[in-house]
Amino acid sequence: MNIVACVKQVPDTEAQIRVKPDGSGIDDSGIKWVMNPYDEYGVEEALKLKEKFGGDVTIVSVGPARVVETIRTALAMGADKGIQIDDPALNSADAYTTAAALAAAIKGIPHDVIFCGQRAIDDDSGQVGSILAELLDLPQLTIVTKVDIEGTTVKVVKPIEGAQLLIESSLPCVITAQKGLNEPRYASLPGVMKAKKKPLDVKNAAALGVSTEGKAKVAKTTAPPSRPPGKIIDGADAAAKAAQVAKLLREEAKVI
Amino acid sequence: MEHTTFSLGGNEGRQVFWNAEYFEALLFLFTFVALAIFGYGVYRRWQMWKAMGKPEIRTDNMKERIKILLKDGLLQFRTFKDIYPGLMHGFIFFGFCVLIFGAAFDATEFHITEPLGWAFLRGKFYLVFSLLMDLFGLLVLIGVFMALDRRYLQKPDRLGYKGKPDNTPDDAIVLLLIGGIVITGFLIEALRIYVTNPPWEHWSFVGWTISKAFVGVDHGTAKAMHKALWWIHTFIALGFIAYIPYSRLLHMITVPANYYMTSLQPVGNIEPIRDFETAESFGVGQLEEFTWKQIFDSDACTKCGRCQDGCPAYLTGKPLSPKKLVQDLKTYWLERAPQFAAAKKAAGPEGEVQIPEAQKAMVGEVIDLHELWACTNCMYCMENCSAAIEHVPKIIGMRQYKVLTEADFAPELQLTYRNMENNSNPWGIGAHMRADWAKEIGVKTLAEDPNVEYLFYVGCAGSFDDRGKKVSTAFAKILQAAGVSFGILGTEEGCCGDSAMRGGNEYLYQTLAQTNIEVIKGYGVKKIIATCPHGYNALKKDYPHFGGEFEVYHHTEIIADLIAKGRINLKKPVDGLFAYHDSCFLGRYNQIYDQPRKILKAIPGLQLTEMERNLAKSFCCGAGGARMWMEEDIGKRINVARTEQAMEAKADHVAVGCPFCLTMMVDGIKDKEMSEKMDAADIAEIVWKAMDMEDAKPQGEAA
Repeated sequence: MNIVACVKQVPDTEAQIRVKPDGSGIDDSGIKWVMNPYDEYGVEEALKLKEKFGGDVTIVSVGPARVVETIRTALAMGADKGIQIDDPALNSADAYTTAAALAAAIKGIPHDVIFCGQRAIDDDSGQVGSILAELLDLPQLTIVTKVDIEGTTVKVVKPIEGAQLLIESSLPCVITAQKGLNEPRYASLPGVMKAKKKPLDVKNAAALGVSTEGKAKVAKTTAPPSRPPGKIIDGADAAAKAAQVAKLLREEAKVI
Repeated sequence: MEHTTFSLGGNEGRQVFWNAEYFEALLFLFTFVALAIFGYGVYRRWQMWKAMGKPEIRTDNMKERIKILLKDGLLQFRTFKDIYPGLMHGFIFFGFCVLIFGAAFDATEFHITEPLGWAFLRGKFYLVFSLLMDLFGLLVLIGVFMALDRRYLQKPDRLGYKGKPDNTPDDAIVLLLIGGIVITGFLIEALRIYVTNPPWEHWSFVGWTISKAFVGVDHGTAKAMHKALWWIHTFIALGFIAYIPYSRLLHMITVPANYYMTSLQPVGNIEPIRDFETAESFGVGQLEEFTWKQIFDSDACTKCGRCQDGCPAYLTGKPLSPKKLVQDLKTYWLERAPQFAAAKKAAGPEGEVQIPEAQKAMVGEVIDLHELWACTNCMYCMENCSAAIEHVPKIIGMRQYKVLTEADFAPELQLTYRNMENNSNPWGIGAHMRADWAKEIGVKTLAEDPNVEYLFYVGCAGSFDDRGKKVSTAFAKILQAAGVSFGILGTEEGCCGDSAMRGGNEYLYQTLAQTNIEVIKGYGVKKIIATCPHGYNALKKDYPHFGGEFEVYHHTEIIADLIAKGRINLKKPVDGLFAYHDSCFLGRYNQIYDQPRKILKAIPGLQLTEMERNLAKSFCCGAGGARMWMEEDIGKRINVARTEQAMEAKADHVAVGCPFCLTMMVDGIKDKEMSEKMDAADIAEIVWKAMDMEDAKPQGEAA
């Protein structure tokens, strides 16, 4: 079985996000980059399918030189080869352009199942998997917590509010991974060492024949409004403090 | 053979081989047979010791090794640390030594010096000699009875596993042999005295006393009994010698050998893995991946159970017992070594040895994973083992295999390691927040001012844990008040890596260590203070493996010194009864027992008490060896057990010198619903309180 897992490199959830003064994005100095956690579920599921059915897992990622580390992380977990789409013009690409670049790269390789994370934790757009499926003209199974493959059919579970759907589709298809799908493995040290020698193809937009035009553009990035400081209520005793709280809630917060 | 007549007044003595004059040739024959059986057994064992294991040098520095051999092998200092078993063993061992010397004296006189015309067992020397022989013989007998009583009547838990004694027939046979030698020896002596009746033999007070029991027996019968007993005595003694290599008696060879080959490295040292790039497997997954010495260790184990007696995992109901672990490895070795020895023989001296295929996984089947992961690395077992067995490095070796080679270990520990990888702290809090605690109190980083005497290596708990930050703050304020010049690394500081290393993730540990060493060296730092004993131990003893050579102090050492020099003033009384809980990484790892106690005693009003388990026999809080980051779902929680021990000591306050211990004790107190009556605090917090300077303006700030 030929499995593809798309991964995005994102800032660590604990990283300190500083917006550039000109609003053109975030200042990425000092940021620790990690694999998007939802993509990690995709990689793990890809590896599980490989263990079950045999075959190859290819990791595809769009981004500058630093994303190689993330691709290597997936290779260390057990994936077989990587494709990095490195083009300065794609560095601030929108979801459509990113999906188009991924589609162009994946078209050139055999693929029975394609995994994406259901969204990336940096821009939260949640579109790439779906657009990718459209561009490749494949069925898309989104926000999935269980994958079962038999022959050329796949059954997935998708939780929705108050219920869960069992969706069946033919292969090949695009599956976007949700938390709960699996527990991503910790790479073994021999895995880490072998990953350094696994094949990694680097391609640019021109080679893939992808337009970097895009359909949407982030006009401006601003920091979220800072939270006003909390207030410590002072008073002689609990009753006095409560009275003070009531007064503030009525007069300042205007909620009662 | 005619002998000189013995008489009072300087010619007291006895005829060696009395009533057994013609047995000499037979005795030689049987002795030869016994020695041959003994020799064959040792040879076979030798083949097994050599059969497997990686190379390791444990015979360097002979002078130091001989010292250890004399102190703990011959004089048995460690064995005596436990009074009852120490005396029991001492009586048997030293008694037997004297008896063997005595027998050697007899033999030397009879076979060598007397035929040459010099009989030295005469007169006063003979009398004192007789007295000593009887005295030490009696001690051996007392020792044997103490052992029998202990093993079969008292049945302490440590001579078993989970309440079930692990006695084997061998244990009884050995005691019966020793007892048999001494008892038959006394009976022979008594019969000889009864028949020959020399007036000075009350010096042989045991034999002389027993001889009174034979009154009325005719001399012919007595001599016949003597002959029979003489042979019984001889056969038991020779049987004992022959039995040595096939029984627990082998410890007479393996334990001294193990002392001689003991690690001369600092306590807790783990040899770093040097080759990450080309190795196929890391850590110890198969028995042969241990070093030969680590394997030999298990053959020195006598199942005495001292290790188990204070093992926090064992005592709180986890499956781990250091004794069981070592014994299980030994059993497996007994199965595997002959296969390896045969394979070696088949390969010849030049050929390549075909490693016999293992029928089971050592890690997982021989050693259960719950045992492997229950260890807190507290070092109780190694500190108290009277055979110098090194348990902890074996456990870490096997953990390395599970983590590095198989990547099969607890998910919560995987998360911890990812956190350490991504944010250089086990909590996974943003690395940029590492120095936030220091902002308000005016502590400078080395980047701001590198010209300081000490680097305060804060560590992860001191930087990210809420309580830990309070300890860091208190300690920094103490240093400021005492006018000590220091700085921190700020966000350039990284996790020390101790939890990674002790949890088997040597690769991550080395990455963290090297990053820290580079930063610290970059500032030309010479002296470092750490408030966390884990960082303290890592920086002091583990970092030198990677070129990080610093003078490292724990904050209790620094505070004790400041108090001694009068640089801080403890003016405000602190009331209450305090019990100091020894952190393993301060106490057993670094022998820091006195300084924390000295500090507490210097605080006015403070009363210090001790928990029953303290100092070198202290009980771990449960957080070492990466256990801090793991679920504890088997048995009782270790920190709760330790809290109960503090409650038994009637302490109102538990003083600690370690942030992990602090967390564990605070949680334990909560768990026991004792928060109203008890609390736990770091020594720095207590000292800062006693200095009563909270309201004073920090130095350097305008009033």
